[in-house]
Amino acid sequence: MLKVEHLSVGYDDLQVVWDVSFEVPAGALVAIIGSNGAGKTTTLRAVMNLLPLMGGAITFKDEPIVGTPTHQIVERGLVMIPESRATFASLSVADNLHLGAYTKWARAEKKSAMEGVYEIFPRLAERRTQLAGTLSGGERQMLAIGKALMARPEMLVLDEPSLGLAPMIVEDTFDEIRRIRERGVSVLMVEQHVEMTLELVDYAYVLELGQIVTEGSSRDLMTDSRVREAYLSF
Amino acid sequence: MSRWVSTMVWLLVLVAFAALGSITDDERLMTLAIQTFIFAALASSWNVLGGFAGQVSLGHAAFFGLGALITRELWLGEMALPLAIVIALAVTAAVAAAVGLPMLRFRGIYFSVGTLALGVAVWITAGNVWPGISSLPADALREYEFTGPYYVALGVVAVVVAVSMWLKRSKLGLGMMAVREDEEAASATGVSALAYKMIAFVISAVLAALAGAAFAFFSVSYYPQFPFSVVWTFEAITIVFVGGVGTIVGPLVGSVFFVVGRDMLSSTFPEIQVLTFGVLFIVVVLLLPGGFVEAGQRLFKLVSRGGADQKAKTGIRPGEREGKEKT
Amino acid sequence: MTQLVLQSAVSGLLVGGMYGLVALGLALAFGVLKVLNVAHGELVMLGGYAAFLIFTERGIDPLLSMPLVFVVLAFIGVVLYQLLFRFVVRFDIEKRIKNSLLISFGLVLILQAIAVLLFTGDDRSIVTGYSSAAWVVGMVRIPWVRLSGLVVAVIAAVALEWLLTRTTFGHAVRGTAEDWSLASLAGVDVRRVYMIAFAISAGLAGLAGSMVSLGYSVNPTIGLGWTLKALVVIVLAGLGSMRGIVLAGMLLGLIEGLASVWVGGPYRGVVALVVFLVVLSFRPQGLFGRGGAYV
Repeated sequence: MLKVEHLSVGYDDLQVVWDVSFEVPAGALVAIIGSNGAGKTTTLRAVMNLLPLMGGAITFKDEPIVGTPTHQIVERGLVMIPESRATFASLSVADNLHLGAYTKWARAEKKSAMEGVYEIFPRLAERRTQLAGTLSGGERQMLAIGKALMARPEMLVLDEPSLGLAPMIVEDTFDEIRRIRERGVSVLMVEQHVEMTLELVDYAYVLELGQIVTEGSSRDLMTDSRVREAYLSF
Repeated sequence: MSRWVSTMVWLLVLVAFAALGSITDDERLMTLAIQTFIFAALASSWNVLGGFAGQVSLGHAAFFGLGALITRELWLGEMALPLAIVIALAVTAAVAAAVGLPMLRFRGIYFSVGTLALGVAVWITAGNVWPGISSLPADALREYEFTGPYYVALGVVAVVVAVSMWLKRSKLGLGMMAVREDEEAASATGVSALAYKMIAFVISAVLAALAGAAFAFFSVSYYPQFPFSVVWTFEAITIVFVGGVGTIVGPLVGSVFFVVGRDMLSSTFPEIQVLTFGVLFIVVVLLLPGGFVEAGQRLFKLVSRGGADQKAKTGIRPGEREGKEKT
Repeated sequence: MTQLVLQSAVSGLLVGGMYGLVALGLALAFGVLKVLNVAHGELVMLGGYAAFLIFTERGIDPLLSMPLVFVVLAFIGVVLYQLLFRFVVRFDIEKRIKNSLLISFGLVLILQAIAVLLFTGDDRSIVTGYSSAAWVVGMVRIPWVRLSGLVVAVIAAVALEWLLTRTTFGHAVRGTAEDWSLASLAGVDVRRVYMIAFAISAGLAGLAGSMVSLGYSVNPTIGLGWTLKALVVIVLAGLGSMRGIVLAGMLLGLIEGLASVWVGGPYRGVVALVVFLVVLSFRPQGLFGRGGAYV
């Protein structure tokens, strides 16, 4: 579904990501794991064309998307939930969801999509006229996911979905991600919580200081000694 | 260029202009020269606050007008010119200190709009309190010579440039530029942003008043409200940006360009002049933020390296794309 | 004396409506694009000339020609956006504001010069059959041509609010105003939103200009004065409510009107600026601003 080859990204003259390649096959649940500052967010933002590339090729559904305006990438079915600040604080819950279905093909199904989101997250239904800025962290995350679902994505990209959430909420969130994949949406997530992530995903890449140092199926990585030493607690 | 060489060059330029004042009799040339000096001084004074310290004041004319007003009133009232100027500067410094403190608490755009509001308020008030035209008395008119105003204006711009140069190289100037680049970062390293901004504000105001004094001494007759007009601020800012904001030479080059350009276009409608400079200003802000100075530097690099392998790094550049999210 | 005070108050409220109308457009541009267009007053001026020309050439009453003036100015807005402001929105917010301030500053000079070349520096005013008509309520005289400005302001505010809160486009605009990169991640074409918002902003300036040439007068230099008033109104109102802006405009007009009774006419202009500085110092978020709102 999504193929990234030899991606290099930087800010002005500071290069942050070097020659990164990864792939998300259709229907798969893939993760890029790494600690803070590894370049995970930068990579994702470059994929969505929020940052200019220094080099590399990106294809989505076999079509190149380097240089394609962000909103058009979204129109093609690739939706990203950014790390924190993923909802419009000055808009109500309902308006956030409305805006989530801004793309043409999502608009057609807006009503049913919204009902679907309220079913999955009844708390959002209760608070539908509330400003998103007044929601709790967990509710905001729910709204962010709901908003992303409204866009009827073919592939969902999540930047650190567990960030700032209580462990129980993280579990709920990860369950929801699993269910999203079961509905046929391909998922790429970027995470620091290595253990929980490896238990969730099929395949993962490890990013360190802007470079992919290793990759493999989650089972292989969990048994990889380097990964265990660096990231896992046992 | 070593310090000594550049100082020598500046002194040479100064001497050349001083000589010019004695040699020539051409009234038009002298008028243009004096206007250039006054604009150069005014623009350089704005540059101290806007270029070094990065605070865009839109009410600058208030101090220019104040300097002109006090100098004119005292001098026409039989006081010696040097004393009148000193008093004008002292009063301006006091006013600037009083006004600067509340104003500088505002940041960025609020500061700019606040100073604009203040400048216009002062202009309105000046027009109400001093509505009558200020003219030189008859005998002074008959004896009017350009030499005096010429040397006063030359002296003024020399002082302003000297102060600017000293400031730019001093620790004070460094602090101002730190505040300009990133006020929060500067504060975090113990730089009192407010203090540096205040100093820049007061120095800038006093230098503007000095330019105003030269204007008062040079002008035969004008409405006292005139030097308070926001147009002077506009023109000073245009000159600074077109010449090269933040540099010493920029305002000077810009003022020569402005006065000469205006003179050349004066045969056409005055509106064409304004139009031209307006367009030029926009072009500079968008494409060449460093003005003529940057253009000159790039040209020099291009010629001396025979190629464009080196990207000229200037302070502020239009970004290429949406990027650099500020956290 | 009471008559004077009442009349001054009412006249102030009426002109305040105009302040609000001018401020609406400026607030929209600033709230959505984070661009400060100090040449907004010049757009008002051009709108006034447009209405004047339509009236003198075609005899169409300014109240009827308003939609046309809106379209003309909106078109000018699109042109200005594509030529100038499109490049400014590439920067981050801080630089955007600073650069747009400078650029629109140059635009002030340019538009004024063009106006003088096209229309000369004379004052122009639209005089219609009802130009001297007024409602008399007790001791107070309410001229129709000035009341119309207030009415247009209220209608425009309501229409804008409806657009922003009840339409999909309005959601996109508000989202863009808060966080443009998040909006583009939602599939919003941010550039297009910017362009349309700016065009609407210019169109609103045109409407204000129509009313200015009907109830007051137009000449090439009026721009900056209206821009300053609009800025004061925006600071007074805060962002987040179009209605609030019109109310703040009326409040400013009222304060000016009452102050002029005691301080005298020539210092009217100073009043606004004092209000501005006081509000900025003590309540920078404005009187009617919805905390956290962006447009």
